[in-house]
Amino acid sequence: MALLEVTGLVRRFRGLAAVDGLSFTVAEGQTVAIIGPNGAGKSTTFNLVSGLLRSDAGTIRFRGTDVTRTPAHSRTRAGMGRTFQVVQPFVDLDVLDNVVVGALFGGSLGLGAARKDAERLVDLVGLGPKRHAAVASLTLADRKRLELARALATKPALLMLDEVMEGLTPVEERDAVRLLHEVRAQGITLLLIEHVMSTVRDLSDHVLVMDYGKMLAEGRYEDVARDPRVIEAYLGTEADE
Amino acid sequence: MRRNLIGWAAFIFVVVVLPWLGIGSDRYLMLLANVMLMFMTLALSWDVVARTGQLSLAHGAFFGLGAYGVAIAHRTWALPPLVGMLVAACAVAAVALALGVVTLRLRGIYFAIATLAFAEVLRTVALQFPDLTGGTVGIAMPPLFDGDRLLSYYLIGAIFVLALATSLGVRWSRLQYAVTAIRANETVAQVMGIDVVRVKVVLFLASATLAGLAGAFYMPFITHTDPNDAFDIGRSVAALVFPIFGGLYTSAGPVIGTILMRSLEEYLRVTPPWKEGYQVVYGLVIVVAVLFMPRGLLGLIVDLRRSRPDRRWAWRFSR
Repeated sequence: MALLEVTGLVRRFRGLAAVDGLSFTVAEGQTVAIIGPNGAGKSTTFNLVSGLLRSDAGTIRFRGTDVTRTPAHSRTRAGMGRTFQVVQPFVDLDVLDNVVVGALFGGSLGLGAARKDAERLVDLVGLGPKRHAAVASLTLADRKRLELARALATKPALLMLDEVMEGLTPVEERDAVRLLHEVRAQGITLLLIEHVMSTVRDLSDHVLVMDYGKMLAEGRYEDVARDPRVIEAYLGTEADE
Repeated sequence: MRRNLIGWAAFIFVVVVLPWLGIGSDRYLMLLANVMLMFMTLALSWDVVARTGQLSLAHGAFFGLGAYGVAIAHRTWALPPLVGMLVAACAVAAVALALGVVTLRLRGIYFAIATLAFAEVLRTVALQFPDLTGGTVGIAMPPLFDGDRLLSYYLIGAIFVLALATSLGVRWSRLQYAVTAIRANETVAQVMGIDVVRVKVVLFLASATLAGLAGAFYMPFITHTDPNDAFDIGRSVAALVFPIFGGLYTSAGPVIGTILMRSLEEYLRVTPPWKEGYQVVYGLVIVVAVLFMPRGLLGLIVDLRRSRPDRRWAWRFSR
């Protein structure tokens, strides 16, 4: 059984369909990447799947249960975690307490257990020495780490990562990929939106290509990267120019 | 947390013994002490909602609703004040629940305006139904405890302790994490598994009920209420100015803010050179305070303490 099963998903903004009849499945333990040009509907898809946006049509099933109308916080508690492209740490809390929030509510732990779990995750992502730092003082790379630790604290079975590599230097990127391999090794299913193709190649078992809110192609990275329709979507056709 | 508990226990002890330190026989000072505790309750209750990032201008209205609840319970069913207060608190809770469900989806300025409108609507309604509310004349009722200000002091003291317990309870539980997250970013808070609407509604409900209890005490204490007094916008302003002055999102802030601001207001009101335009002076103090101490008195003390590490007492008080 697929962990996540999306069928015929539609979301319109003022009549314009940002997601238009999208269907895909993510099998347990897989790492799936969603790629596509800007405006293809990738982030809207994430917002629909995580429950921050209501869909106009279609169904979302998680572990076989229909969660299409389930509020976002319940989806998190059910095991659907996510990060945001633009990282937004809770400014009045330090690094550790930011992670405690996820463990307390998403992970449904008591205060003591949540602190312990947060300590572990802060160490895992390499923020151990900065656990009591104010989040405003963190570099972008550290904020991305915090974003990941916080999402992991909600104990996701499915973790949706929205452009975790964006804005990182090549060295930081390598660290991040290593970290995601570790996360994957813990049995967490990953669904990523990613622009950095080397990351997609290194991490993903399966690639979904979106364009104009629809599925353009899907398959293994090597096959998808050679697909003429995909190349066209990314580079445009001559007629476009 | 334990040190804070000791600090608060000491504060409550002072509140309990205060009437026996010479002011108990002075009716004027006892009036001030009663009103002081009432405003502390109002300020503490307002701050609980502020912690979720919502600026309420309805707390004066909940206060007024509590006052009218007791008055109407007295006039219609001849209920004694203490029973009337419970009825009034339940009525306020019911109204707050309805208002909360409708308005708490609004954020920032929109929520503030909605709550302000609510307060104005209540005032107008009170004027439009004179059979129930006594119209512009209002409602009078016999004094609480036959005018015994010591008994009333302990009653409002108990209500204050309830408000303090609520405020500290939020601060020392997992709710503290929820409200801080919600204040920073509601969308992310949801994704962290926080039931944002529920947290906001529950705290709004508790907070409004406490404000209503303060009003339900005030009415039989003062023995009279009318729409312009009960739904005075000034009380909504006081409910937010005191915590802002003392220090937002804390329990000590609203208490200290109320003590200082109420004392100042009373001093200006009765002292000759200021007497005439005391509200202007009072207003200026508020403006200066907000401009130069954006995090309130406690924030200022914390900053001072950071620059002078020997000032440990200040830090302790502010946490």
